[in-house]
Amino acid sequence: MATPQLYQQVALQWSKSFLVLNRDEPPISGLLSFSQAWILVKEVLRPRDLTEATQRGTINLTDLTIAADIITKCNMLHVLQDDFMDAVRQHLHLITRDIEQLMGQYDVSSDVQHIAKLVARLSEWHTAWSPMQQFGSSMANAYNLAFQTHVYSILPSSFTQGFKSLVTLTFNLAVDHDGSEWLFTLFPKPERPSARADSALWNAFQQLSLIERYESLISTICYEYVEGHILETCAGRWDEPMLNAIREWMANKIVPWMLMPFARGAKTSDDAKSMLQGIGSRLDFHVCKTLADLRTKEIFDIIIDYPDSTNALKDLKECLARVDQRSQLVQTLRKANKRRLLHPGADTKDILTQYVSIIRCLRMVDPPGVLLFKVADPIRQYLRSRPDTIRCIVASLVGDGESGDSLVDENEPIQPLQPLQAEDYSDPNWEPEPIDAGPDFRTSKPSDVISTLVSIYDSKELFVKELQVLLAQRLLTIKDGNYDRERRNIEILKIRFGEAALQVCEVMLKDMTDSRRIDQHIQSKNASVLHPTIISKQFWPTLQSTMFAMPGQFRDLQESYSKEFTAFKPDKKLAWLPHLGTVTLDIELDDRTVSASVTPLEAGFIELFTTFDTWTVTELLAQVGNVDRTMALKAISTWVDLGVIKESGSDEYTLLNIAEANDGEIKSRAPQAPAVEDLPPVVTLQEQQAEQMKVFWKFIEGMLTNLGQLSLDRIHGMLKFAPGYDRSIEQLAGFMEAARREGLVTMRDGMWRLNK
Amino acid sequence: MDQITTSIAPATRAAPKPATTGSTGEGTSSVTKRLSNELMTLMMSASPGISAFPRSDSNLFDWVGTIEGPAGTIYSGLKWKISIHFPPNYPYAPPVIKYDTPCYHPNVDINSGAICLDILQDKWSAVYSVQTILLSLQSLLGEPNNASPLNPDAANLWAKPDEFKTQIMKFYRPIAE
Repeated sequence: MATPQLYQQVALQWSKSFLVLNRDEPPISGLLSFSQAWILVKEVLRPRDLTEATQRGTINLTDLTIAADIITKCNMLHVLQDDFMDAVRQHLHLITRDIEQLMGQYDVSSDVQHIAKLVARLSEWHTAWSPMQQFGSSMANAYNLAFQTHVYSILPSSFTQGFKSLVTLTFNLAVDHDGSEWLFTLFPKPERPSARADSALWNAFQQLSLIERYESLISTICYEYVEGHILETCAGRWDEPMLNAIREWMANKIVPWMLMPFARGAKTSDDAKSMLQGIGSRLDFHVCKTLADLRTKEIFDIIIDYPDSTNALKDLKECLARVDQRSQLVQTLRKANKRRLLHPGADTKDILTQYVSIIRCLRMVDPPGVLLFKVADPIRQYLRSRPDTIRCIVASLVGDGESGDSLVDENEPIQPLQPLQAEDYSDPNWEPEPIDAGPDFRTSKPSDVISTLVSIYDSKELFVKELQVLLAQRLLTIKDGNYDRERRNIEILKIRFGEAALQVCEVMLKDMTDSRRIDQHIQSKNASVLHPTIISKQFWPTLQSTMFAMPGQFRDLQESYSKEFTAFKPDKKLAWLPHLGTVTLDIELDDRTVSASVTPLEAGFIELFTTFDTWTVTELLAQVGNVDRTMALKAISTWVDLGVIKESGSDEYTLLNIAEANDGEIKSRAPQAPAVEDLPPVVTLQEQQAEQMKVFWKFIEGMLTNLGQLSLDRIHGMLKFAPGYDRSIEQLAGFMEAARREGLVTMRDGMWRLNK
Repeated sequence: MDQITTSIAPATRAAPKPATTGSTGEGTSSVTKRLSNELMTLMMSASPGISAFPRSDSNLFDWVGTIEGPAGTIYSGLKWKISIHFPPNYPYAPPVIKYDTPCYHPNVDINSGAICLDILQDKWSAVYSVQTILLSLQSLLGEPNNASPLNPDAANLWAKPDEFKTQIMKFYRPIAE
């Protein structure tokens, strides 16, 4: 139903279009040339199947340029673009086919080759269909967008994994130039030897915009690669500095690689540098973090290896300055300590050694000592709960040479114990506490190890007491009268603990020298074979007293010596400790003389055999007094071993005045080394304390009987009546709890009372 | 030496001769020391049925004691609280002792708890100690001195154990725990 207006309108449009297409050419040659150009361009741009035999013929560039020009002039470029895009979309199924095929193969074999092939193939498709530059950038952009949108929309998720492996592969290509040859058949090596072997591959990635799309993935790959390298090269190697080696490796190996993905557009080396700066510093951070993590994980063993692991600790210090992993370090070390160190199976000495190493190591990593403070706390608490800690520390103070490495560094100057100092704010070099220091952090000056160990306990008195016990043991074992070593130790300890604290030790030493002087005096008056060591009861730790009396001539010797002593020192009295000391004697028998160096008890027994030839153990015991039966049997067996007496009946021993025939057999038993008395039986601090607790219990019993129920505080207060009460209220609480468990007392509402 | 003398001199055994000590140590510090030693001795000795302890940790001169009736006597199985107050010149003067819980006994005042015992008055000697006093008091329970009664009723009733026992139980107050 064409109306005249419509007809007119169509005619107008027609002539307009004709004018545009004909471009004022006479009469329709313009129209003809446009039509030729359109046909040519359409043929050139047609998306072809790559498998097709017919390829884009060689295009006459001049013709193409002219044709493109005509179309542009006719304002028909957007029509051409729409037309081209339609054609591309119609042919995209060809690409889909290839992707599906190659990804299918990859999914089956997980061979990265298929991914490389896929990338190469996609690159080919892209190139084949790409519109020439003559058609302007808008068409190229539209094409790229459509192509990539399609490709990315159909790439399966497994492609990411494959791409990752492919990129990982390039690390070795970049440097070694000996990568898998198959890759270079797909992506030929560049002609110029200066260019990187894998630049073709990266170009393909770039063409397909894979780098943009997978930028974070590529960084991750890089991180992982670096991480792997660090773990591989640094794990367990603590004896050389690794951080610088890694940084060097980064510069030589990773930075050239990074140029490809991260600095592709760079024209000059300065350009590249600025483009790499961001990722580079992130990567350096990652290196530090990885190394710090690794060392943190290994920290316990690193400390064990100290001082061989010094370099690892220096690395760790540098890393920690860059990354904030201090709290992780503390946590890991605390956990490791708890699991590997602070358990009943560990020797106290080992714990102390490790503690000292921890002190040294952490001081190196963190000079202000915050880390150390946080790590040390559980160790110190644990050590406090161990009964033999003090003994171990004291033993190392005295420098037991034979027990191997002492805790104390020989080169460390001996200095007085350093009490914790209050902060000196007038110090011009004063520095605030580190920010991660806890509220209870106490600045400890880099003091020496012994001060730190002694500070485990609140008072040094305990050490001095233990020191006395140890000194007593050592002095009593010295037989040759050479006390230089002990004197030297005491002098050193005086520097640490102060003169006053060691006065008692001083007296003990003096006793030893005095003994010899007194002995010389008494010998000059009345020569005796007895050479006692005279100790002042008040100043020596309680010595275990076994109350036995020496029989026969020994008693005579003792008595005459005592008499002389009393004459020499009228205000003093000798109390014999016969179980200490040695007796060297010759036993003259009918056919032989036996020489032996034995303990006093052994001497006492053989003395008894001079009166009768046969004794039972019970009779022997009755003669000497209060002696443990096992000790007695041990003493007797010494003589049996020496062939002096023999067991003639059950519990009965007879003197062998004439050696028995099968003497040889007895002799063949290696004569025991004269029973090396392990250590003089000084009552240990622990036993003393147990003894004391018994006394305290009597007092507690007394007060509860008379005063009814009492609170812990009052019991604690009342116990000041008990001599030598120096426990803390916590210790008392523990003791009362123990008493409650034994059913001696009950507790209700904080009040303790005796259990009826 | 000091320790030896104190431990050798048996504070538990009352020597009949008058005390020879006292040449040294006037003043509270020596009294405190003496009392501390007596406390120690008392705590460490295992005398059944007698016990005493300072009332508070601030005053060593004021003690509380417990006496159990000796087995085999009419008082057996019963318990009394006593208070012991030491004078500043102890041991040259005897401590003041009285029953805190009522004790029906010929030599004990049932109301005030005062005790009539010679060693606590004119027969006092410095060699006595808390322990000896407590032992004396314990034995006094079984063997009253009816010649000088503080409680004449009790003295009169002593010969009749059944009635006596009734009277004891009438006054007796178990120690509150």
